[in-house]
Amino acid sequence: MKRKLSILLSLVVLASMLLAACGGGATEAPAATEAPVVTEAPVATEAPVATEVPFVDHAVVTDTSYSADSCDYGGEFKSIEAVDALTVKITLCVPDPAFPSKIAFSSFAIQPSEYIEANGGNGALLEQPIGTGPYSVVAWERGSQIVFKAFPEYWGDKALVPNLVFKWGSESAQRLVEIQSGSVDGIDNVGTDDIAVVQADSNLQLKAREALNVMYFGFNTDPQVTGWDNTKNPFTDEKVRQAIAMGIDRKRIVDNFYPVGSTVADYFTPCAIPNGCVGDAWYTFDPAAAKALLAEAGYPDGFTTTIQYRDKDRSYISGQTNVATDLQAQLKENLNIDATLEVMESGAFLDAADSGQLTGMYILGWGADYPDQTNFLDYHFGAGASIQFGTKFDDLTAVLKQAASTSGDEARKPLYEQANNLVKQHVPMVPISHGASAVAYLANVTGAHTSPLGNEKFSVMDNGKDTFVWMQNGEPPSLYCADETDGEAFRACEQVTEALLSYATGGTAVEPALAESYEANADLTVWTFHLRPGVKFHDGSDFDARDVLVSLALQWDAHNALHTGNTGAFTYFSALFGAYLNAPPAQ
Amino acid sequence: MTTLTATPPKLDSEALTLKSTSLWQITWHRLFRRKSSIVGIIILGLLVLIALTAQWIAPYSPILSMLDAKPPQDIQRRSAPCIYLLGCPKDQPQHLMGTDGNLRDEFSRMLYGARLSLMIGLSTVVFAIIIGTILGALAGYFGGWIDNLIMRVMDVLLAFPSLLLAIAIVTVLGPGLINALLAIGIVSIPAYARVMRASVLSVREMDFVSATRSLGGNTYEILFKCILPNALTPLIVQGTLGIASAILDAAALSFLGLGAQPPTPEWGSMLGAERNQVFTAPHLVFYPGLAIMLTVLSFNLIGDGLRDALDPRLVHVSS
Repeated sequence: MKRKLSILLSLVVLASMLLAACGGGATEAPAATEAPVVTEAPVATEAPVATEVPFVDHAVVTDTSYSADSCDYGGEFKSIEAVDALTVKITLCVPDPAFPSKIAFSSFAIQPSEYIEANGGNGALLEQPIGTGPYSVVAWERGSQIVFKAFPEYWGDKALVPNLVFKWGSESAQRLVEIQSGSVDGIDNVGTDDIAVVQADSNLQLKAREALNVMYFGFNTDPQVTGWDNTKNPFTDEKVRQAIAMGIDRKRIVDNFYPVGSTVADYFTPCAIPNGCVGDAWYTFDPAAAKALLAEAGYPDGFTTTIQYRDKDRSYISGQTNVATDLQAQLKENLNIDATLEVMESGAFLDAADSGQLTGMYILGWGADYPDQTNFLDYHFGAGASIQFGTKFDDLTAVLKQAASTSGDEARKPLYEQANNLVKQHVPMVPISHGASAVAYLANVTGAHTSPLGNEKFSVMDNGKDTFVWMQNGEPPSLYCADETDGEAFRACEQVTEALLSYATGGTAVEPALAESYEANADLTVWTFHLRPGVKFHDGSDFDARDVLVSLALQWDAHNALHTGNTGAFTYFSALFGAYLNAPPAQ
Repeated sequence: MTTLTATPPKLDSEALTLKSTSLWQITWHRLFRRKSSIVGIIILGLLVLIALTAQWIAPYSPILSMLDAKPPQDIQRRSAPCIYLLGCPKDQPQHLMGTDGNLRDEFSRMLYGARLSLMIGLSTVVFAIIIGTILGALAGYFGGWIDNLIMRVMDVLLAFPSLLLAIAIVTVLGPGLINALLAIGIVSIPAYARVMRASVLSVREMDFVSATRSLGGNTYEILFKCILPNALTPLIVQGTLGIASAILDAAALSFLGLGAQPPTPEWGSMLGAERNQVFTAPHLVFYPGLAIMLTVLSFNLIGDGLRDALDPRLVHVSS
């Protein structure tokens, strides 16, 4: 009897709670509509009129083309047209001599239009890219490994090993043990101290990677942190930045923490890139002058700051804590600047850098995606670059814009001289090194190579077994590389998806890929790509011009419904081509 | 009347101190009869000696890198120990434990690390004992809702894995040695609160407490003059063992980069910074690891010894 009563009671309570939940909405609704009518409505309608410009779609879209109504939006693309099933014409607003190098980058890989439209830029697209490459994704076991298998209908030379596995380990010692025990066939970034160990081991082969990168100590002149008082930020003062530039013994860092083959960076861009090191070389190390300059800027006794970094090995740095500790010691010794070290999680660190939220000095680097100055200077200091260094320098962005649309290395030289000198003057960062790094493979792997761009191609390697295992530094954030900036993701994407053009295996020369051939008009503004016939995607569908149109247009138009991905930033597109169409207004 | 109320508790506490002196003598005696506790005391004694004299016996600075010294001798980063007696050339700079990744003398860093580790262990445990004792005493003495409130909070704290909770606290407060100490201190409070509460519960109803109470002793007197001295023994044992686990936790936090920040010479962070050099420079991982182990071992041995020595059931058997 009692039990029945209590069940009944609890049922009543449950029912009343349900009623309250549903009924509450019904009774609240009129109140909510009433209020604006009486008092809030006029305020609410006024405000948007005053601040917001009504949205005007600047994209002109037809079935076979995507164009901007004018070039006033500030970016480089004018239109993308699918002329016929196998011809794509891209028209630019300004001449771009580096266009083939840029469009070959893995961010601009082509995926089936139907697949992208079906997934809306999310979901499966992030984990299961469908490309035309030599390998297709079988499964991504998050936190453990990515499994690929050879694509039997690949248009080019088919993969030599039927299965490919990507693993990752952030510790260089762990990677070394894995390859010494033979459980993986190749490892990325052999630790600086381990290079001799690998060289001495007859079961292993060492491949040095060309130093097409830069490691730098960055400043942020305008951190985007709520409650941040930027008037107390010493780095807003150019003299402080110059003083630090003079007060750091970069040679000591390179001599001690970098493997043989690394060089002290006298320019932001390595010399192997055309016009990379023209103009004045970096400040010479002069602690006395640095101290004097710091005093002149109003900090005779130094100041306190933080050094932010992530403890991950990259091709441009190995053993970040050692480097950070040395930077800390140098700042104290030479400039009396007290810095505390702050290690951040890798993904959070990159996000914070990209969105300008780092507040102190930070250690970061850059590896070339394609061999052109625009990939270094424009990506970091150009108008379309992220706000990682804070407020942009107008003189620098203007020179870079002019240089990017000038063709011919000779013609660009004076502009890049000027740009390099401006970087030296403004010191948005202190370039430290162009770091050599090395990759190790088991001795029996044929076709083993490294790429200066970090995109090793495993389809040409053979270990005589049915599975090739590669171990890199970290797990890719996602495999939708249009919306990624992490090299760990690009290397995985490059096995699966392809762009119109590609880079030579182990090199930087641009080669035809999904486009058999291409030509440009005389002033380098209209680029016509002739697509390779008979190419199949991994899902069996045919590759055609519409796939190219959709894959590129969704990155270009920020208002495109498919302009979403892992973060939705599509950083590479705006960094390489200036701006998005329909970009949201700056705040 | 006033004289009457004042004297008996005084007498009582005098009797207590007399009794406890003899207890300490017995304890000391018994502690030294155990070989394992003697080993613990010797190791700890050495560590204390090192910690106290670090600045005089350390041959180099534990923090300053020798990279810019441009030495006449060619010392390398992460070079192996160089000891003249063991065959290292005499003209080489003598680094008893080699040099670390930033070219600092590992031996000097190890010496200073002892100071830091002991400081960490003692300060966190003292912090936890003070807070834990007060909470436990209040809970045990007053009972009722105060007891319930305090002990349920302690139960919640105990329900988390301690290191994980410490990591969570440090994440909120921000990495750094002081925050790590605070985190470890907070995490170890419940153990002391429980011990204290249990002792208070068992002592609370004893006759001498009732006597003090009936003679008009106030709560403060009863709690801290009558009950606390009688609850001290389990706290000491718990505290000694607690130092060991606090040092371990601090080393773990520092290893993860959440505790002592570079360039502070803390064993855990030294271990963490050079973890990738296990194969190329094993001495940089071996020595800090060994030091942590020895320190923790010494406290555990002493704690075990103390527990046996202070166990009242064993006192009568052997003395």
